[in-house]
Amino acid sequence: MELLIKNGYVYDPINKINGEKMDIAVKDGKIVESVSSDAKVIDATNMLVMPGGVDIHSHIAGSKVNSGRILRPEDHYKDVKPRTAITRAEVGHTVPSTYTIGYRYARLGYTTVIEAASPPLKTRHTHEELNDIPLIDKSCYLVLDNNWIVLDYLSQGEIDKCAAFIGWIFKALKGYAIKIVNPGGVELWGWGKNVESLDDQVPPFDTTPREIIRGLCKINKMLNLPHTIHLHTNNLGKPGNYRTTIETMDTVSDLADGKPNIHITHVQFCGYGGDSWITLRSGAPEIAKYVNNHNHVTIDLGQVVFGDATTMTGDGPFQFILQNLTGNKWKNADVEAEGSAGIVPYKYKRKNFVNAVQWTIGLELALLIKDPWRVFLTTDHPNAGTFMKYPRVITWLMSKVAREKVLNKINKRAKKRSTLPSIDREYTFYEIAIITRAATAKALNLANKGHLGVGADADIAIYNINPMEIDPSKEYKKVRRALKRAAYTIKGGEIIVKDGEIVKSFIGETFWVKPAIPEDLEKDMLREVSEKFKEYYTVSLENYIIGENELASSKPIAVKTNL
Amino acid sequence: MKTIRNVVCPFCGSLCDDIEVEIEDNRVVKVRKGCAISATKFTKYNEERIYKPRIDGREVSLEEAINEAVEILANAKYPALYGWSCTSTEAINIGIEIAELVGGVMDNTASVCHGPTILGEQDAGISTCTLGQVKNRAELIIYWGCNPAHAHPRHMARYSAASRGRFVKGRKERTVIVVDVRKTHTAKTADIFIQIKPNSDFELLTALRWAVKNGELEQEEIAGIPAEKIEELADMLISCRFGALFFGLGLTMSAGKARNIEAAVNLVRELNNYTKFVMVPMRGHFNVTGANEVMAWATGFPFAVDFSRGYPFYNPGDTTFVDVLTRGDCDAALIVASDPVSGFPAEAIRNLAKIPVITLDPHETLTTMISKVVIPTAVVGIEAEGSAYRMDAVPLRLKKLVEPPPGILSDEEVLKLILKKLKERVK
Amino acid sequence: MGEITLKPKVTFKVPIIAETITPDNFAGKPIEEIEKLEMWEGNRKTTLGDLFEAAGSSGEAPADTKIIIEGDVRKVRRIGYKMTDGQILIKGSVGMYLGEKMEGGKIIVEGDADSWVGAGMKGGQIEIKGNAGDYVGAPYRGDTKGMKKGTIIIHGNAGNEVGCWMRGGTIIVKGNAGLFPGIHMKKGTILVEGDCAGRCGAMMKGGKIAILGYVPSVLPSFTFEEIKKSFKVKGEKIKGPFYLFTGDLNENGAGKLYVSTEKNKHLQFYEKYLE
Repeated sequence: MELLIKNGYVYDPINKINGEKMDIAVKDGKIVESVSSDAKVIDATNMLVMPGGVDIHSHIAGSKVNSGRILRPEDHYKDVKPRTAITRAEVGHTVPSTYTIGYRYARLGYTTVIEAASPPLKTRHTHEELNDIPLIDKSCYLVLDNNWIVLDYLSQGEIDKCAAFIGWIFKALKGYAIKIVNPGGVELWGWGKNVESLDDQVPPFDTTPREIIRGLCKINKMLNLPHTIHLHTNNLGKPGNYRTTIETMDTVSDLADGKPNIHITHVQFCGYGGDSWITLRSGAPEIAKYVNNHNHVTIDLGQVVFGDATTMTGDGPFQFILQNLTGNKWKNADVEAEGSAGIVPYKYKRKNFVNAVQWTIGLELALLIKDPWRVFLTTDHPNAGTFMKYPRVITWLMSKVAREKVLNKINKRAKKRSTLPSIDREYTFYEIAIITRAATAKALNLANKGHLGVGADADIAIYNINPMEIDPSKEYKKVRRALKRAAYTIKGGEIIVKDGEIVKSFIGETFWVKPAIPEDLEKDMLREVSEKFKEYYTVSLENYIIGENELASSKPIAVKTNL
Repeated sequence: MKTIRNVVCPFCGSLCDDIEVEIEDNRVVKVRKGCAISATKFTKYNEERIYKPRIDGREVSLEEAINEAVEILANAKYPALYGWSCTSTEAINIGIEIAELVGGVMDNTASVCHGPTILGEQDAGISTCTLGQVKNRAELIIYWGCNPAHAHPRHMARYSAASRGRFVKGRKERTVIVVDVRKTHTAKTADIFIQIKPNSDFELLTALRWAVKNGELEQEEIAGIPAEKIEELADMLISCRFGALFFGLGLTMSAGKARNIEAAVNLVRELNNYTKFVMVPMRGHFNVTGANEVMAWATGFPFAVDFSRGYPFYNPGDTTFVDVLTRGDCDAALIVASDPVSGFPAEAIRNLAKIPVITLDPHETLTTMISKVVIPTAVVGIEAEGSAYRMDAVPLRLKKLVEPPPGILSDEEVLKLILKKLKERVK
Repeated sequence: MGEITLKPKVTFKVPIIAETITPDNFAGKPIEEIEKLEMWEGNRKTTLGDLFEAAGSSGEAPADTKIIIEGDVRKVRRIGYKMTDGQILIKGSVGMYLGEKMEGGKIIVEGDADSWVGAGMKGGQIEIKGNAGDYVGAPYRGDTKGMKKGTIIIHGNAGNEVGCWMRGGTIIVKGNAGLFPGIHMKKGTILVEGDCAGRCGAMMKGGKIAILGYVPSVLPSFTFEEIKKSFKVKGEKIKGPFYLFTGDLNENGAGKLYVSTEKNKHLQFYEKYLE
């Protein structure tokens, strides 16, 4: 199967291509140098061509997402689309069905998405849902920081065995990276408590949040995993928490070796200044300053979009606080010996002071941080807004006028306190390509994603917009419209979207890491872990493990460790 | 003879996964570690088997039966697809695709069991956890309107009252309270038994919540319990370190139903302002939770989904199978892994007998006896593998231990064949 | 007044979705066009003309359009959906979701109505001469926006959860009501002239409910205030006396529950709280 995409304006930052008019050749699912004259031609004249989007953090599959669906039937009623010969019925707004998620991402031109937080004991559920998300390639992060076996080993200073255990968990459960959520705090939530600082004790374990983060950062390096540790900070959602965020970033700065070694996720939620909801202000300037001066950190935004959202995180205690603040219905689901999850419906309102401040923070971060290779576009879907709003967020980054329009509608006090009105920077298409596909693919170390060089997977997005003629600063509405419905989305060399409609559906690949653990170390570790399992868990170790045949389309990535 | 360990028991929502079976000559000859119900299931699953597909009582080939099923479903204007709680998640997933294709109503047995729990959750949320969290931490356990001694025999030893966890080492370190209308076997083992007046759970839960908030109880007696006793109970709940409430049909099916659960949710939520408290529904069938999960991720809704206009529509009371049937709204039915005739109200059964019914089941049941098309299938968890979700939504993998009888396929395989033919028939 | 009469052509078996039967959809249209209006018979998309015999002529505007439905329409749902004006008269019993989200106009049913009468109503009037099912005025599951405005009168009995999530308007049940009238109520008025199965005003935050007949008990999260002489509904004073309760205190609610003293002697013990 050969394709030739002709005459498009290509943005491929990994290969330093910045709006060059060039052809892209596809054969057998890969980008190639050239194709024969039998190739199907796509005329991309005056159109913008990018690699398919790579979403590094989104809640798309697993028990937490499904709890959100079950909790919120009212979210589904208005947002429905009958089935067609090619597509299953679509349903849901902030918590759509699996099929809806796949189709919607494809229509936006996204081709790789990672489920941001899977509790190990329920990761089988995550895979069963990933199996049912069409079109995109996908994976999941495993939440490991409040795991009893990990905490036992870290407390006892047994970092080798801890690394072996974590390496084994990736093989057993088929995940991609180490996810950390409110380290220590979620374990204490098992007793209804929380932590407040990086140096709080986490009884009965002899450890602290700081030690957990540092331990896992070291282990990540020992295991040589492709992505850094991916971290949701302590004190999320608390006024003044930007200090915790900077402290968290700083706590592993001495462990870095020139490359990023920590990713802080949805920083908007951890970027609050002030000391109460009344004195709330943005902590983005301080965080941006730190990130600009320390290249061991990457972040993603968690940008707020006004309207309906569903908050869902592994931060049990935070979700409980939110429930008390809003009075909304609340689901909490602790996972034995591993963590928790909380879901609370939420609505972001322009005139609400707090929501307005929150809205400014994500944008300030993106505009004040100079290196677009270390800032990624997310809405922490569906926490700060749905991924359907990515095009809108993009226009806020590309157009000061677009920002001002919103600024004029938000709570006036929030606008007054924000530095956003004084920021003139506007992202270019090249930079947008970086923060939505090139940088994320690079941060994930997915060699064949996020770029259009020869050998890459043929995951391509073509948008009906002429980057040479359009002024995104003024014509941001056109930009938004074009990005909402790809002219073409190509996945693995197959055309899946044409003019915003799904024309073909199939299941993409679930990729996961397979770290090589030295046999003896693994044996020793498993002997100990089997004993712990009997006491801590209510399932057998054998049944905890997920068979590769349980993944509809498994793509293991062998990893050579430093063990 | 071979021994298979860590077998997942396909009977109740406890989904115990430590069963050991011995296989000889393609039969299960011995079962270890399971409860009495489990042992019966593993050794007597070949009783009342159906060995050949039937149409109108006549034995036919599998292909004929499938063709007839396809015709019935394709021609129906409002077919219902029901059951699903005793089969694999994969099979249910195919069922959903069939229901969507034929524009029917897809519902599972939650609608007559813990459907109210889901409804309560949809109005108020829920604070819950996996069972190991209870085993490890809970020092106060309440069984409300459920009788695990009978319905979930190993629950208390494996997960709750008598379990041994990291921080709580056994029955002696726990306080067990039972709330029920009569003194059940579970009640007999409790530290405190609250005999509640039938159909007044909502009142007692409301009073408890009010007492937890330090409100004054203006009635001397509520739900048959003296006000002082209720206040005492409220104090106990607030002062424990970790409390867990298990609840069953006594709460979901007595007057108020979903509102009873909502009241329990609100009480538990209130308690979380003072201590740590959770609640876990005692799901009956071994994969009814799986049916809810897969229906939710595929359609947005956990049961009672009407696809008649090509998209999912949900409104229990309208789209729940027992109601659809009682009103005589459906003109065909596909029943999988369930026996509604043995439990539904008379009017519903009368209407079921009037329409063409296709049933997939390993065993002869009252439902297979009134069905037009019967397709025998393998026993999931013994003759066919698949995924199942425990009552606390922990997903496990059911094993295939022996081969099914010759010519008998799994629910999943039969449904795939039906779906394939339907795709050729319906556009 | 333009009048269109509809008669079912067959006995309906599967559910019929008849959202298009409204004065708004009929006004200004000749019969031929009305017959082409979309309807669903189970999973088959069809037309009004396929299912109903239509006769008469509609008015120019919804306000002067009256629809008369004769025959058994117990399987027909969503009649009057979002209507803004005009009249519908059903000479028999009708199916679910009658007058869902209606904003104005009048619907009269001579027989019974199935559940969800006036679901999420925003104005207008519905009168059921017979009995109504459950969830009068209530929205769908998980939705918290119930009846906002308008009047619903049930001459017979109503089922459970009358006025669930109500935020305005008036519901009058002349017969008996089931469990949980006014559950999650925020605003509005509910009057039950007959008996009530109980649990009035559970989780209510505002609004007022009056029960003229027997109710087995009042929820423990309601507090007894005083004895009131009368209860006002739609400007009219209903003579008591009534025990007045405030609740639902579990929700910090300020709703008012009036319960007849005459018919509820078993509640006399509350009088010990009188100052």
